Amino acid sequence: MSETSAETKHPAHLHHHFVDSDQQFESSKMGMWIFLVTEILFFGGLFAAYIVYRAWYPELYLEASQELDAFWGAINTFVLIGSSLTVAMAIRSAQLNQIRGLIINLWITIGLACTFMVIKYFEYAEKLEKGIAPGIYYTYDGLEHEKANIFFSIYYMMTGLHGLHVIIGIGLMLWLVWKAKRGAYHSEYYTPVEITGLYWHLVDVIWIFLFPLLYLID
Amino acid sequence: MSTPEASTTKKVQVRRYKPEENPKEHYLNAEKGVWAWMTTIDHKKIGLLYLGSITFFFFVGGMLALLLRTELLTPAQSFIDADVYNQVFTLHGAIMIFFFLVPSVPAALGNFILPLQLGAKDVAFPRLNLASFYIYTIGTIFTLIAIFTGGIDTGWTFYTPYSTQTGTNVLLMTFGIFILGFSSILTGVNFIVTIHKLRAPGLTWNKLPLNVWALYATSIIQVLATPVLAITLLLLVMERALGIGVFDPSIGGDPVLFQHFFWFYSHPAVYIMIVPGFGVISEVISTFSRKVIFGYWAIALSSLAIAFIGFLVWGHHMFVAGQSSLASMVFSFLTFLVGIPTGIKIFNWLATMYKGSIDMKAPMLYAMVFLFLFTIGGFTGIMLGSLAVDIHLHDTYYVVAHFHYVMMGGMVMALLAGLHYWWPKMFGKMYSEFFARISCVIIFIGFNLAFLPQFVMGSQGMPRRYFNYIDQYQAFHQLSTIGAYIMAVGFVIMAGYMIHSLLRGKPASANPWGSRAMEWQTSSPAPHHNFEHIPVIINGPYDYHKPMSEFQLGIAHSTNGHQSFEKVDVNVKSAEEKA
Amino acid sequence: MSGHHISSAKFLWGVAIVLFFLTFLTVAVTWIHIPEPWNVVVAIAIAVVKATIVVAFFMNLWWDSRFNTILLVMSIVFFMILIGITLLDTLFRVDPIPTF
Repeated sequence: MSETSAETKHPAHLHHHFVDSDQQFESSKMGMWIFLVTEILFFGGLFAAYIVYRAWYPELYLEASQELDAFWGAINTFVLIGSSLTVAMAIRSAQLNQIRGLIINLWITIGLACTFMVIKYFEYAEKLEKGIAPGIYYTYDGLEHEKANIFFSIYYMMTGLHGLHVIIGIGLMLWLVWKAKRGAYHSEYYTPVEITGLYWHLVDVIWIFLFPLLYLID
Repeated sequence: MSTPEASTTKKVQVRRYKPEENPKEHYLNAEKGVWAWMTTIDHKKIGLLYLGSITFFFFVGGMLALLLRTELLTPAQSFIDADVYNQVFTLHGAIMIFFFLVPSVPAALGNFILPLQLGAKDVAFPRLNLASFYIYTIGTIFTLIAIFTGGIDTGWTFYTPYSTQTGTNVLLMTFGIFILGFSSILTGVNFIVTIHKLRAPGLTWNKLPLNVWALYATSIIQVLATPVLAITLLLLVMERALGIGVFDPSIGGDPVLFQHFFWFYSHPAVYIMIVPGFGVISEVISTFSRKVIFGYWAIALSSLAIAFIGFLVWGHHMFVAGQSSLASMVFSFLTFLVGIPTGIKIFNWLATMYKGSIDMKAPMLYAMVFLFLFTIGGFTGIMLGSLAVDIHLHDTYYVVAHFHYVMMGGMVMALLAGLHYWWPKMFGKMYSEFFARISCVIIFIGFNLAFLPQFVMGSQGMPRRYFNYIDQYQAFHQLSTIGAYIMAVGFVIMAGYMIHSLLRGKPASANPWGSRAMEWQTSSPAPHHNFEHIPVIINGPYDYHKPMSEFQLGIAHSTNGHQSFEKVDVNVKSAEEKA
Repeated sequence: MSGHHISSAKFLWGVAIVLFFLTFLTVAVTWIHIPEPWNVVVAIAIAVVKATIVVAFFMNLWWDSRFNTILLVMSIVFFMILIGITLLDTLFRVDPIPTF
C-alpha cells in the first residue's frame, strides 16, 4: 500500500512491530482466517464421525432425525442468517464511522444469538424430558434402531459444540459493545469488529451445514 | 500482497550497520525482574521460557526412560511392578512427545530465531505468543495433576477401548493435552502470519532462510492437524464422561475410528517434530561448510511436500488394527512416497558439504550425527511401511528402535545442533567446544548402544511395552540399558558445560561462526528489538561467495517503534535496487 | 487488494434475502421426497451454495487477499482427505459394519 509507507504519524492502535495500519489489519485478518481453518478442521472431525456412521447406518439417521423438529431448526437457521446480516451491517457502520449504528447492530446480533440459544434450550429440554440424553443416559424407547444413542450422541456433540461457539460469540460481541462505547473503534481502526465478524459468520456457516444434515433427513 | 516492500520496485538508500560487539544493553537486561519475565511479550524471552520448560520435561522424560531401562536389566521383575511400569512408559511417551518434542524446535528455537531471521521486531501477535506459553503451562499443570491423582497407563496413544475403561486418570490427562493443542495452534497461526507479513525489505520468498521454510511447513501442519486431535480427545473425554458410544465397542462404537482420528493428527505430528529439525540442519550444514546450499528450492519445497504427504499416510500405524485391506494397501503405497522428499533433503545436504570448507564445530558434529542416525531411522521406517514386513514387526522393539532413531536420533540431535549453533546469540556466551564435542561423541555411542540391539531383538520377536521377557533377550536388553546410561552421562556433561557457559563463559562475538544469515548480523545477545536498524536484504542467506558487507545493510528507523522519532542522517553508501 | 471493502446496505440485505430463500428451499425440497441418494446431494448442494455466499459476500472473501481464499480451500481439502481416506477403510472392511 503506497500511501502509508513514508508517513511519520504513529496512531495509538498501531503496535510497534508493524510498519503501518494496513499491515497490522491484514495480519490480524490473516491470523483470523488461519484460526478459522483450525475451526473448520475441529468441526471436521465431528462431521467425519457423522459421515462414517451415516454410511454404516443410513436407516438409523432416517429414523432418528424424525425426533428432531425441522420447524424449529429452520427458524434457528433464519435467526442465525439474520445475525450474520447484522454483523455485516455492524462492520459497515464501523467502516463508515457510525459508532451508534455499530453498537445498535451489535446489540441486535446479541439478541438474535440469544434467541438461537433459547430455541436450542427448548429443543434440548424437550428431548431430555423424553429420555433422549447423550451416551449412557439415553433411555428413550421410541426408536427401534439399537444404535439410536449414537445418532443422538453425535447430535449433542455437534450442536453442543456449535452452541458453545455461539456463547463465545455472544461474549465477544458484548466485549465489542463495551469497547465501542468507550470509543475504541472508528473508521481507521475496527480490526476486532472485523475479525469477530469473521468468526461469527463461520459459526453461521457451520450451522448451515448442521441444519440439513441433522434435521432434514427424509 | 500488502507489505510495502513487496509492492513495487523502488530504490532505497541503505548503509552498512556493523553489529555492535558485546553490547551493554540487550534483550536479556532490557527489563528486569521475575515479573518482567513472566509478562514479557518479547519473542526471544518467550522462546527462552519455552526452552526452560522443554529442558525440564526432557529431564523428567529422560529419568523415566532410565527407570524403564533399569527395570529391564533382568528378565523378571526387579524393582517396579507391571502396573507402575505401564504408567512409567506412558508418561515417558506422553511427556517426551507432547511436552518436549512438539514444542521443542518450533516453540523454543523457532520463537527465538524466526523474527531474527526475518529481520522483524517481533512475531505478528506478541501477546498471543505469550498466551500460547501460558496455555502450554496450564496444559502441563492438568497433566501433572493427572499424574499425581492416579497416573495413566494407556500408552501415549490413548487407544480405545482400553482408555475408556482403565481406572487411571485418562480424563485429566487428555484434557491437559487438549489444552496443549491450543498452544501449538496459536504458535502455528503466529508463525504463518509473521512469515507472510513481517519480512524485512528485500526478503523475498526466494531469499528466505531454509529454517523459515521448515518452520512454515511445520506451522501449516500444526494448524491443519492439531484441531483434529483436539476433537478426538474431546470425543474421548465425552466417551469417558458420558459414554457417547462413538469409539467404545461395548456401547456400539468403533475403536478403529478413534485410531483414524488420532493418527490423522499424530502422524503429521511426527513431521511437526522432525521438519523444523530439517530447517536447523540446513542452516548448520551451510554455515559450517562455508558454501551456498545445494538445491535451495528442492529443500524448501520438499519441506512442504513432506508436510502434505504426511497427511496421507496415517493408516500405516493401523495395518494390524483391523482396517480394510484396501486402506492398508493405499496407506502402504503412500508411505513409500514420504521417502522421496526426505531423500531429496539428505542428498542436497551431502551435496552442500561436497568440496565445502567443513568446520567440525559442535553444531556441525551434531548435524553429522543427525544425518547418520536419521538415515537409519528413515530406512527402517520404509521397511515398516511395507505391509508384509510390518505384520511381523508390528508392536515389537523394532518399531521402538525405529522411532527413537527418528525422534531422538533425528529431532533431538537437530535440536542440539540448533541449540549449540544459536547459543551465542541467545546468551552472548561461548561454551566449551572441547566438552561439547566430547559429549556429542558420548551421546552418539550411547544412543547406538541403546537402540541398535533393539532392532535385533525386535526382529526376533521381543514385543514392546512388556515389563518382563524371556531369557533369550537378556543380553540385548542389558546392552540397551548400558547405552542409555552412557547417553545420560553425555547429557550430564552437556548440562555441566552449558551451565558453566552461562555463568562464566567467554563472551561471544556477534557472528562467531562467520555465517551470512541475518540473525548473525545483529549483536549477541540480540538487542531488545532485534535490530537497531531496518535490515535490507539483497542476497540469499547462503551466499558465502559474497562479502560480509553486503549482508549488513539497512535503513535507519524513521517512523514508529519505541526508540524512534529521532532523525538519523543516512550515510549513503550505496543505493541498491531490488526486485 | 482491498482489505477495506465497504458493501452497501442494500447489497447486504440482498445477500441475506437470497440466503433466506435458499433456507426455505432446502426445507421445501424435503416435502417432495427426492429418492435416496439424491436428497442428500440436493441438501448438501444447497448448503454449499449458501456457505459460499456467506463466505464470499459476508466475510468479504470476494474482495479479499487471494491467500485467505487459499487458506479456506486448504481447510476443505484437508477435511476431504480426513473423511475420504477414513471411508476407504470403513466402507471396505470385510465386515463393513462392526458387529460388536
